[in-house]
Amino acid sequence: MSPEPMTAVRQALLSVRGVSKSFGAVRALTGVDLDVHSGEVVALVGDNGAGKSTLIKILAGVHRPDTGSIAFDGRPVTINTTTEARDLGIATVYQDLALCDNLDVVANLWLGRELHENGVLQKIAMEQRSWQLLRELNARIPSVRATVSTLSGGQRQTVAIARSLIGEPSVVMLDEPTAALSVAQSAEVLNLIERLRERGLGVVLISHNIADVQAVADRIVVLRLGRNNGEFRAGDTTNEAIIAAITGATDYSRR
Amino acid sequence: MGRSATVKAVASRNPTGGSQTSLREANRARIVESLQRHGHLTQVELAGVTGLSAATVSNIVGELATLGVITTSTTTRSGRRAVEVTLARQSGLVAGLHFSSRHLRVAIADVDRTVVAEHHAPLAHDHKYDRELDRATLLLSDMAESLDTGLSELLAVGMALPVPVDAATGIVATPGLLRGWDGVPVADALGERLQLPAFVDTEANLGGLAEARYGAARGALGAAYLRIGYSIGGGLLIAGSPYHGVHGRAGQIGHVTIDENGPICRCGNRGCLETLAGGPALLDLFREDTRFQRLRDIVLRAEEGDAGARRAIADAGRHIGIAAASLANLFDPELIVVGGELAEAGELLLAPMRHALERAAPAGGSHLPELVQSTLGERAELLGCLALAIDNVAASGRLPASTVTTIDPRRTG
Repeated sequence: MSPEPMTAVRQALLSVRGVSKSFGAVRALTGVDLDVHSGEVVALVGDNGAGKSTLIKILAGVHRPDTGSIAFDGRPVTINTTTEARDLGIATVYQDLALCDNLDVVANLWLGRELHENGVLQKIAMEQRSWQLLRELNARIPSVRATVSTLSGGQRQTVAIARSLIGEPSVVMLDEPTAALSVAQSAEVLNLIERLRERGLGVVLISHNIADVQAVADRIVVLRLGRNNGEFRAGDTTNEAIIAAITGATDYSRR
Repeated sequence: MGRSATVKAVASRNPTGGSQTSLREANRARIVESLQRHGHLTQVELAGVTGLSAATVSNIVGELATLGVITTSTTTRSGRRAVEVTLARQSGLVAGLHFSSRHLRVAIADVDRTVVAEHHAPLAHDHKYDRELDRATLLLSDMAESLDTGLSELLAVGMALPVPVDAATGIVATPGLLRGWDGVPVADALGERLQLPAFVDTEANLGGLAEARYGAARGALGAAYLRIGYSIGGGLLIAGSPYHGVHGRAGQIGHVTIDENGPICRCGNRGCLETLAGGPALLDLFREDTRFQRLRDIVLRAEEGDAGARRAIADAGRHIGIAAASLANLFDPELIVVGGELAEAGELLLAPMRHALERAAPAGGSHLPELVQSTLGERAELLGCLALAIDNVAASGRLPASTVTTIDPRRTG
C-alpha cells in the first residue's frame, strides 16, 4: 500500500502525466497521473465529482486536456477526437452501453463497421466472427441472433464489451460495468474482465463497488477532488484503506 | 514443453483410448457444459455456443436423449419450429459453494450428482462473510430460478472455506487466516439465509473427498490431498473419508515450519510453508513486473518458458515437497494428490516436489507415496461440497428413491 507510484520494469501501454482540465472556473483535474500496462486491470475509484469520468473522456478523445501529456506505447500522442482514440487502440464502454435494442447481437457488434465485399454485406462472416468472439470470452449469450431487447442487463453489458473488442483495441475502459446488475450478472461481467486481461488487454475499470474492484483489479488508483490520492496493489490493501483514501481520511496527494 | 508435459500427464490418465472415441466424448462434454451454463438451449443455439456442426449436435443430442441424460421438447424460435434441449434431472437438488481465497464457485446438482447449473466469480483477497454469503444466496436463488424451481426446493447445501473449520462449533478453527470470516458460526449463517440445512468444511478436505470418490484417489486406503493456491492446505483421507482432528485443524500443511528464522506468517508464526510457497509469497517475487498479477500468470508464463516463473514454481515445489515428506513419514499415505491453482503447472511443480519427497524419505524408502496431479482440477472442491450435501441428505433419510446408478457422461467422476 505504498502511496508512491509504483515503478514498473515494463513500459506502460498508456501513460498519463500531469493532466489538468478546467471547465470554466471548475478545476476538474489537477496534475493527474495514470499508467496502464498490457494484461493489467487498473481500477479508477473516487467519490462522485472526483474526476474519473473527465479523465476517461480525455483518454477517449471527448475532452482535450489543458496541460499535461499522454503517451501511448511510449510515443507522445494527442487525442483530439473519439475516432483518433479508437484508431490508437483505446476503446470505451460507457455506462449507457449505446446499444440498439431493436437489432440483434451481430448487428450491434458490427454497427458502423460492417464487413462488406464489393458492396455486399458479409453476413455469414460477421455471424461466425461474432460466435467466435463470444466463445473466446466465454460469454453467456444463448444466441447471436437474439435482439438486444430480449437480453438481460449482464448480457447487454457483455455485448457492449464484445463490441468494443471488434476493433482489436489494446486498452478497454469500462465505466461502471456492474452498476445496476444482479449478482449473477455482475459475476459474468467480472469473469469477462478476467478474460480481457488474459487476452493481454489493458483494462481501466471505473466502479463504486469496492468489493468488485478488489476482486478483479490488479492496481487501484484513487482520485479525490481532481487529484491523485494514492495507488494500491489490490493484493496488499484492505477495503478500509481504499475508502480512507477516497474520502480523504488519509491524504496521499502531492500538492 | 511445459504445456505439452501437462497435456501428456492428463492424456495418460485419460482412460479413453482411440482419438475418435475421445473426440466424441469431448463433444458430448461440451454440449453438457453448455447446458449447465445456459439452462436450456435449442439445437441451433447449441451449435452456435459449442462451435460444433448442426449435424454433430443433432447426433449427440439424439444419443444423450436415448441415454436419458437430456430431454428434448419442441418449441419455436423466431417463428420457426426448434428442438429445445434441457438436462434431465432426478428429483431432489442440492447446492455447493466453494469459497477459495480468490474465487467463488457455485453449483446446483441433483442427488445423483448431475450438475445442472454452475457459476463462478472472482473474489476480493480479504472477502468478508456477510457480503459473500448474501451474494451467494442471491446467486443461488437466481440459479434455482433458471431451473424453474426455487431455493425452497433444495434439500441441503455444502460449503468449502480456505481455512480449517471446527466441526463442533462451525467456527473458523484458526483465527487470522481469513479475517473476514473469524468468529462466525458459518454453517448457521449460511443456513439461516438459505433456510436450508448447511454443512461446512475446509476446502482441502472437500477437494480430497471428491478426489477419493471420483478422482485420482479412488480406492486408496490412505491418501493426502494438498491444495496449493493462494493458501496451502491439506486434507487427510482415511478409507475415503476426511480426518478432521479434534478441532478441525488436521492437515494444516501450509503452516508447517520450514525456516525458523523466516518471515512472519499471517498465522503469527515464522517461516511457515505458506511464507515460502503460498500465492502472495510467489507473487512478491515478481513485485516489479506487471505481467505477474495472479498465480495463473505465473503458471502461464512458466508454460511459455519464462525462466523466472519456472524457477519460482520449482522452488515452491521443493519447499512443499519437504513438508510433504514429513507428512508422508507421519501419515504413510498410499498417494498424495496435488490440486489448487498452482497444480495447473503440472510436472513443473510436481517433479521438484517428488524429488524433495524422495530425498527426505528414510533410507531404503521403498514405500514412498505416489505423487499425482488432481484429476478433477479446479472443480474438485466444488464437487466435494456437493458430495458433502448429498451425504448429509442421505444420512437424514430424505434421499428420493430414484437414485439409480447409470453410466453418465455428465459426471465428472
